[in-house]
Amino acid sequence: MTNTAPDQLVGASTDFLRRFSPFDRMEADALTFLAQRAVLGFHARGSEILSPEMGQPRHFHIIQRGKVQARQSGPATVTEYTTLNMGPGECFPIGAITAQRPSTNAYVAVEDSFVFQIGVDDFMELMRISPVFHLFCTQYIASLLNQSRQQLQTTFAQRASDQQTMTTPLGELIKQAPVSVGPETVTRSALEKMAELRIGCMVVVDEQQRPLGVLTQSDLLPRVVLPAFDLGRPIVEVTTPAPRTLPATATAYDAALEMATHGVRHLLVVDAEGRLCGVVSERDLFSLQRLSLRQIRASIEGAGDIEALQSAATDIRQLALNLIAQGIGAEQLTRFISALNDALTRRIIDLAIARHDLHGVDYAWLAFGSEGRHEQTLSTDQDNGLIYTCSDPAAQDAHKLRLLAMAREVNNDLAACGFPLCKGNVMASNPELCLTPQQWQNRFGKWIGEPDPQALLNASIYFDFRVIHGRQSLGDQLRSWLNRAARGNSAFQRLMAVNALDAQPPLGRLRDFVVEADGCIDLKKSGARLFVDAARIFALRTGAEASGTVQRLRQSAVKMGVPEEESAAIIDGFHFIQLLRLRAQHLDTEHDAPGDNRINPEHLNELDRRILKEAFRQARKLQARLRLDYQL
Amino acid sequence: MSTWLNRLRPGRDQPGQRAALQRWQALPAAELGRAHFDTRYVVINTEATGLDPERDRLLAVAAIAIDGGLIRAQESYYASLADDPGAALAGLLEFAGKAPLVVFGAGFNRRLLERAWQTHLGGVPETIWLDLFWLLPAVFRPGLDGPTRLAQWMKIFDIETFQRHHALGDAWAIAQLLLALLARAPRLGAGTARALADLERSRRQFTTPA
Repeated sequence: MTNTAPDQLVGASTDFLRRFSPFDRMEADALTFLAQRAVLGFHARGSEILSPEMGQPRHFHIIQRGKVQARQSGPATVTEYTTLNMGPGECFPIGAITAQRPSTNAYVAVEDSFVFQIGVDDFMELMRISPVFHLFCTQYIASLLNQSRQQLQTTFAQRASDQQTMTTPLGELIKQAPVSVGPETVTRSALEKMAELRIGCMVVVDEQQRPLGVLTQSDLLPRVVLPAFDLGRPIVEVTTPAPRTLPATATAYDAALEMATHGVRHLLVVDAEGRLCGVVSERDLFSLQRLSLRQIRASIEGAGDIEALQSAATDIRQLALNLIAQGIGAEQLTRFISALNDALTRRIIDLAIARHDLHGVDYAWLAFGSEGRHEQTLSTDQDNGLIYTCSDPAAQDAHKLRLLAMAREVNNDLAACGFPLCKGNVMASNPELCLTPQQWQNRFGKWIGEPDPQALLNASIYFDFRVIHGRQSLGDQLRSWLNRAARGNSAFQRLMAVNALDAQPPLGRLRDFVVEADGCIDLKKSGARLFVDAARIFALRTGAEASGTVQRLRQSAVKMGVPEEESAAIIDGFHFIQLLRLRAQHLDTEHDAPGDNRINPEHLNELDRRILKEAFRQARKLQARLRLDYQL
Repeated sequence: MSTWLNRLRPGRDQPGQRAALQRWQALPAAELGRAHFDTRYVVINTEATGLDPERDRLLAVAAIAIDGGLIRAQESYYASLADDPGAALAGLLEFAGKAPLVVFGAGFNRRLLERAWQTHLGGVPETIWLDLFWLLPAVFRPGLDGPTRLAQWMKIFDIETFQRHHALGDAWAIAQLLLALLARAPRLGAGTARALADLERSRRQFTTPA
């Protein structure tokens, strides 16, 4: 007599699982492993099995009987469905458990349901021992990524805004070190400090940095100006004593409540010892709720000065980071960053134009490089130029000087808004880059005709131009001229191809990835660039009008007769690399380091590593096509 | 299970099996006032030569534990009484521990088992029994023409099993019914084993089964 009961029950579960994909194809050992560890639970109709609030899922579920509904919750739309019913044999959550992040869906039993579950460790082990299961999960994620890309960004940007957390601790809201003075400070010097630093409130502290009093701008009129207060007297005589403070651990909600209750616009934030650590203003709290695509746009369009645009630029970054954190696809994200940055640039130019007389000049502001391709990440230098015509040739030089003066202001204003000045001086204020259509054509034509290494490098920046502001037709005409010129010159294309093949996908023969000395891969140089360069060549060859890599790949694939699924796979690969770049920058930004496109594949989770490998394979495919086309 | 087998093998005689009963009696009593997800239940099912508990003989016993509201395949027991009924019954007792025992049809299962325990272990463990025959209608309230037999309940919940009329096969189905019951019963205020026992008692008093 032996106790065979567990074996029999495992056998029963095995038989059940085998009726469904992918378990029907699963290796026998792996299936037994799964059935041995699968534990059966019951979920009454209406009960929640898993939700984003539960954090990282601890179990992988397989429905045995009943019906479970996946409901989109959370701010970002990741999938194309809002609800999805799942029945026997279907499993969840694949993406969340693989990536070890909270689920984006809530899973609710809509009928009384019996559901198997296995622990996350067993799930990972199953992925390891079963290639079939691994493939199943990877393909599922890939399809999710795919779906996520097809979403329109406006909806989720809108929803993301509503989620702007008022639960943020005040300690995180403080943007700068507090400005404070001692009680005996002469009022005049305290006020001068306020004016110099453009701050709305001055805090008076004792020797232990504990707040004694506060003076705000609105106090100045009644307390200082009208009573003709002697500015030589100590500041403490005009401050509000015993100012309201909140601990750094209090939330934005608490602060909003406190401000509303006491009708104050500033609150002092103190640490556990009661020492001043910063000032939170009403505006800081509002800015938490300001971050939606539409609202940022509106604030950009309504901005009257560079300060307002600077805060909008900060908002753009903040929203981008939130969206990344919410797991948004790279394409929407970059397009949305691009859309907002475009709006910002336009507004900066509008403001500059108002200060300059450009009467009689027809011009267009051009973006080059990644901005031209709509592929800006969060840390992108300026790359811009101008194209202009004027009705009176005699006045051309004078016009150009006026344009350059305007461009200088725009370049500086862009720099003030967080787009660093270009080290290589690829900027509209550079006289070399403020040209008439004929001059641009001459320049481009020279590069095409004499493609030395510098010319090829230039082509890789300038040929991705796009009109941001001004006369669109100037750009369109230059584009169609360029396409004609490059299309007819296969020697130039060939050299571009040679250049593009310089960089190889970092795939190893033995190991998964070829990494640099520090164990990292440069995702720009050895990743995105491979796609960008190839797409540019295909676009020139087929006369595609687009300046963006994805659009170029799509447009040229149609003309070159490349099957749609093939180009879609390549585009997926590009997006994934872009997403990893953004994510790396995201994390870096949190640590206050510059985004530098480097990632260590060892630090990726298993799934991301696998997809990255596949993305590089797609780049290799793309290069193989270049080789074939130009017989290299 | 090999430990208990080895322990029991030398003494297949009555005293050895009586020791099994004594060991069981020495276990701490089950806490009947805890929530279902905090309670270990053991579903027990039998296979006999027929359907008459007085005359028919026990052929095999099976048990499946439900712990934390979950069924684990590893937490199950099956033994035929053909070779060594004493060891099979002692093993069942050891597997069950002091957990509330859940059957479908106590009139049959419980009587058969208690008689067998008496014969082979020299005593009957005093434990709490829950009968799904009474509890399922009490919790799911199917109405007067509602199901009474196991097959009918399985159909309602769309429950399948790998082998009907087999001690473990039916236990697997009964265990799934118990899962559903444990999830639903708290809504009726029956959130503990003791409350289920009370519910069953009142159901027995006020209902005459068809």
